[in-house]
Amino acid sequence: MQPLANVTPLKPPARAGAIEVKNVGQVFKTRSQDVVALEDVSLDIKPGRFVVLVGPSGCGKSTLLMMMAGLRQQTSGSITISGAPILQPDPDRVGVVFQEASLFPWLTAEDNVEFPLALRGVPKAERRAKAQDALTLVGLDGFGKRHPHELSGGMKQRVSIARGLVQDPPVLLMDEPFAALDEQTRMTMGDELLRIWAATGKTVVFVTHSLTEAVYLADEVIVMSARPGRIVDHLQVQLPRPRTYEMLSGDAFGSLRDRIWRHIRKSA
Amino acid sequence: MSAKISAKTLRRLIVIGLIALWELLPQTGLIPELFLPSLSSTLMAGWTDAAEYGHALAVTLYEVLISMAFACGGGILLGAIVGSLPRPRVLIMPMVSSLYAVPLVILYPVFTVWLGIGSESKIAFASIYGFLPTMLATAAGIQTIDPQLLLAARSMGATLSQRLVRVIIPAAIPTVLSGLRVGGALVIVGVVVSEMLISSAGIGYLISRYRTILDSPHVFAGVLLVLFMAIAFNAAIRWIERKAAIWQTGTRAGQANDDIASGAMQPAT
Repeated sequence: MQPLANVTPLKPPARAGAIEVKNVGQVFKTRSQDVVALEDVSLDIKPGRFVVLVGPSGCGKSTLLMMMAGLRQQTSGSITISGAPILQPDPDRVGVVFQEASLFPWLTAEDNVEFPLALRGVPKAERRAKAQDALTLVGLDGFGKRHPHELSGGMKQRVSIARGLVQDPPVLLMDEPFAALDEQTRMTMGDELLRIWAATGKTVVFVTHSLTEAVYLADEVIVMSARPGRIVDHLQVQLPRPRTYEMLSGDAFGSLRDRIWRHIRKSA
Repeated sequence: MSAKISAKTLRRLIVIGLIALWELLPQTGLIPELFLPSLSSTLMAGWTDAAEYGHALAVTLYEVLISMAFACGGGILLGAIVGSLPRPRVLIMPMVSSLYAVPLVILYPVFTVWLGIGSESKIAFASIYGFLPTMLATAAGIQTIDPQLLLAARSMGATLSQRLVRVIIPAAIPTVLSGLRVGGALVIVGVVVSEMLISSAGIGYLISRYRTILDSPHVFAGVLLVLFMAIAFNAAIRWIERKAAIWQTGTRAGQANDDIASGAMQPAT
């Protein structure tokens, strides 16, 4: 059949990689009382943006991320990704990268990367090829046969990024992925992540405790407050890309970081 | 690396030295043959009555294999249930843990009343004896699985059965294997000890019978057979560990498991 080039589709095309969070609330019921973890959180993330969530411990930023991943259900409100609600984990739409130690220690790096494909019965040859591409993308060419305990902390995190990207989802969610790394490795991994992000055009939502990391990486920083978890500020980071180490000491960088810090100090 | 090799060589030299002493001390008359018959007379005793020992070994091996199937199968199954479900855990674990501290051999006479003095009572006793550590290790192995791994698997869309087969089982293997090592060794102990107590066949029975007539070479021939059985079992477990749990080499957990397991192995062999 010949494609009809001039017909406008009835429905707008699915916005691949867009994330809409509408009036999301989360209440944990304990025996004595109800704890409001998130209250009326709304967010609109455009495709291809690098968005960082920061806030004091207990502000629910990780909870919000787990909801976007479909790993936890909100009490109220809705979350849609690429135009459809997310009700359960969907690796075609969302890849997730966790802190440390979420690689399976009994599998080699490439078997770890292939894991989500193996779950859906993708043939071996195709799996291997995709895993190779993903490992090359994260700069781990030639390390596929190693087991996690033979890799450094930074390399392990590269493997888990490759695993998150192997099904080519438009959205990559990252829950404090570099928190367990030392300072130098952390800086390098930040640059690596920006390179991968620029090369793939994914929407990235990144949770961190580090304000410097937040401003350095982000297009937008979303600042949350604790008990109940709420969005208190939404900053646009206008610093040019590629980001460089010299920007860290610039005035623009400093004033953004100060603004986030004032919010966090107030609510902590 | 060179230190490791020399330690291995040293260990072999010690074993060879002990074997030589075993032969030489009784031969020179420093130790009476009644207390320690020389290696050659022990082997000779075994050789002349090879048919009798062969039959006894067959009986003992049969009892050990059946008991191991019960102990390991039941231990892994129940350990998996207890390890993954909190309610049975609360009910069963305290009982099992305190039962583990009881010298179970006191139950063996009861078993002979119920099941007779044939293989059945040995199998029942050895199965229960080896079952407890296997079950406790399996339960611990499943309880201590990193929840991050399960969360990660879920985020990749793994179903419950995929999580069981691809995450829970492989993650629990090292701990389960160290439980099997202890449990299996206890099965061998259980069978031989119960044969020595009340029995009519098996290596334990032979050892016990020759001891009453003070025939030391024949006693030691039986001891040697039990020793070989334990060594063969240990080698088999090591082989399985190498095949199934390559990933734990180099991790602290793996080494700790190995140390504890081989430490626990000592009293059994």
